[in-house]
Amino acid sequence: MSQAFAVFRAKMRIVGHEVASVRRQSKLKVAVITVFATALWIGAFFLFYSGFRWLISFGEEASRGGMNIADILMARMLGVLALAVFFMLIFSNVLISFSTLYRAKEVPYLLQGPITYRLFFLSRFWECVAFSSWAVGFLGSPLILAYGISGHASWTLYLAGFLFYIPFIVVPAAIGAIITLILARVFPRQRTSVMIGLGVIAVGLLFLYIQDTFNISRLSQDVVIAAVMDATARTQSPFLPSFWAARGILAAGGCDYGESLFQFLLLVSNALLLVWAAAELAQRIFYPGYSFLAGQDKTRIKPLDKGILGRLDETFRWLPNPARSLVVKDIKLFWRDPTQWSQFVIFFGILAIYMANLHTVGRGEIEKEMWRSWIACVNIASCTLVLSTLTSRFVFPLISLEGQRFWILGLAPLTIRQLVRQKFWLSVCTTSVFTVGLAVLSGRMLGIPRIHFWLSVYSVIIANFGLAGLAVGLGALYPNFREDNPARIVSGMGGTLNFLLSIGYIALVVGAQTVILQWWALERYTSPQMFWWALAVVVASITLLSLGATFIPLRLGLRNLEHMEF
Amino acid sequence: MIKTEKLTKHFGEKVAVDALTLTVNEGEFFCFLGPNGAGKTTTIKMLTGLLQPSGGRAVLGGFNIQQQPVEAKRVIGYIPDSPFLYEKLTGNEFIRFVAGLYQMRDGQAAQRAEGLLRMFGIADVADQLIEDYSHGMRQKLSFVSCFLHEPRIVIVDEPWVGLDPKNIRFVKDFLRERTREGTTVFMSTHTLSIAEEVADRIGIINRGRLLHTGTVAEIRALAKNPGTLEDVFLELTHEETE
Repeated sequence: MSQAFAVFRAKMRIVGHEVASVRRQSKLKVAVITVFATALWIGAFFLFYSGFRWLISFGEEASRGGMNIADILMARMLGVLALAVFFMLIFSNVLISFSTLYRAKEVPYLLQGPITYRLFFLSRFWECVAFSSWAVGFLGSPLILAYGISGHASWTLYLAGFLFYIPFIVVPAAIGAIITLILARVFPRQRTSVMIGLGVIAVGLLFLYIQDTFNISRLSQDVVIAAVMDATARTQSPFLPSFWAARGILAAGGCDYGESLFQFLLLVSNALLLVWAAAELAQRIFYPGYSFLAGQDKTRIKPLDKGILGRLDETFRWLPNPARSLVVKDIKLFWRDPTQWSQFVIFFGILAIYMANLHTVGRGEIEKEMWRSWIACVNIASCTLVLSTLTSRFVFPLISLEGQRFWILGLAPLTIRQLVRQKFWLSVCTTSVFTVGLAVLSGRMLGIPRIHFWLSVYSVIIANFGLAGLAVGLGALYPNFREDNPARIVSGMGGTLNFLLSIGYIALVVGAQTVILQWWALERYTSPQMFWWALAVVVASITLLSLGATFIPLRLGLRNLEHMEF
Repeated sequence: MIKTEKLTKHFGEKVAVDALTLTVNEGEFFCFLGPNGAGKTTTIKMLTGLLQPSGGRAVLGGFNIQQQPVEAKRVIGYIPDSPFLYEKLTGNEFIRFVAGLYQMRDGQAAQRAEGLLRMFGIADVADQLIEDYSHGMRQKLSFVSCFLHEPRIVIVDEPWVGLDPKNIRFVKDFLRERTREGTTVFMSTHTLSIAEEVADRIGIINRGRLLHTGTVAEIRALAKNPGTLEDVFLELTHEETE
């Protein structure tokens, strides 16, 4: 039997068992994921559809009396999206290839078997393609559908979208794998500072290349068409695989089958060539790189009282023990777990994008009071959602992560109440730094009225208590002591419930504020006193709700832990 | 069958294995002993081709593991101390996967797997997902997968973890039986009483250097005071450390 077929068959069986195991998972979790995924897909479709409809009407209006530029604008927009996805796929494939080819648990197992490095690479490569590209399929399908419906395209557009999908994702996957193979061979021999410098230069060059393309939204309308044509011209390079895919799909939609077939064959032949090149490269340089990485001196010496982490005890001297020991331990474990970091980096990346967009919104003049009020409410929602992301992903698993080490805490002269209290205050203190800071900064950048500003800041402060209470309390009520991976702890029944209740809490807090602030913006109150009384009622309600969200889950969780046998 | 010449591995500045020269003959049961961090696992990783040596060479069944890795791996079987198994496959599916990797014919693989699964007492759980197996069952499955392709050389890293006394006895007898049939067994272990019982020859490694090789009687004779293999081992490695 062929070795490649053996690997493929085993992987297919694994996928089959994974799918079948969904039946054994929490019904609530499956329902939440299904509903959210469907809502996301439908939301994406309507977003793309309204975007394309707007482009069509804009293009028709702009070209009144002249040639219709709506089709050109749509094609250019598709080119921009394809190019952005193409670069993102290369980047994600570099990261995924590294973990799939070098770090996965099955790598040593496969390598001790009688298979060539070429075959090893190919068997793992398809996993990289699947891992890095499923999201493109998930969000690309509503895009193509929206494009086809809004532009009244032929059914062949959808068929072409499906056929072009595989070669289009294979090209960046192969490029990403080649970059990883070379980096793994070269990187360990280079100084980290050199590699960081090269990485920064590469990202800078990429940014310069696409800067114009993504800056067009800031232009005024009278120059926008010329600017769009000019800026998006780079996405139309015949040397870009994203251009081949976009052009081929559009040609199929316009019934130009010859052009579509040509672009398809161009994409497929390049995909095959790149996969072949990557496999040959793997045959030559994979093993030296793998062995060098495995053979590095991994001794990590961390002397007491040296470095930032080493001085934590000194920093928290003002805290009484055992709280200090627990806080220092939690911070050290968090910092030394790379899986936690990667999540944190993604989180701050999203935050940076949010802040950059606030900057753009803040520069515009928002005349109407009603819209300023709406923006303030949306900003409160954003800040509290950021907070709930932090508590759901990082705070909820804290109790479960004590896991099989619970006996250490159980034997220590420490009550469960002290432990839960420590987790709660650690959460409130750390998340407050980020979220209250974000609320103040975003409020200032948006220039919202004073009443909106202070209400936002108060809501975020009080939400820190409410959401921490929910996360720590439910973490104690539904602990998972068998799991060491925080991501898996979060995806369990307790994590799902915490997520849903957090969203519900945020909806109530933001909803109450939106009502009172819109009321104020539209000046519907009969006297100022009436407004202040209403505001006091809203603030009191939010406070009461937050106290409930804080103390009820904490009490239930505490009771559960105290009655638990270890 | 196994021949290493000045096999060396550096991890940065640290020398994990220092010019190891060793020969293990066909049908020999060789036990590789050493304290924690002595270089046993690094040696095994070089013998199985998972690590590239910094110097020297290893030849298994006549094939240089670095220059002819596929040919060498075809004749060896490896049982790690904590085996990796695909959690979402059943025992039978995993065995079929291994048979495919070693390019065995379907009928031959099925027949051999059936015998081994029965012999190791896991035939009745072979259709269960591996994630539901106990540690001992996983260890037995890794034995089945190792012996499926009838390797001429078997490299075993501390195989007793998770096995009950009955199964330890079974594995000892099984490995001894294979050596009588001509299979070479290279086993790293901390369980000195078992090594004393089964080994044809013993090698003691400490701080990356091979201190002594010989039969149990020869190793015992090296001690200043007569005693068990454990006493001799502690004396030899203690002297070396000092």
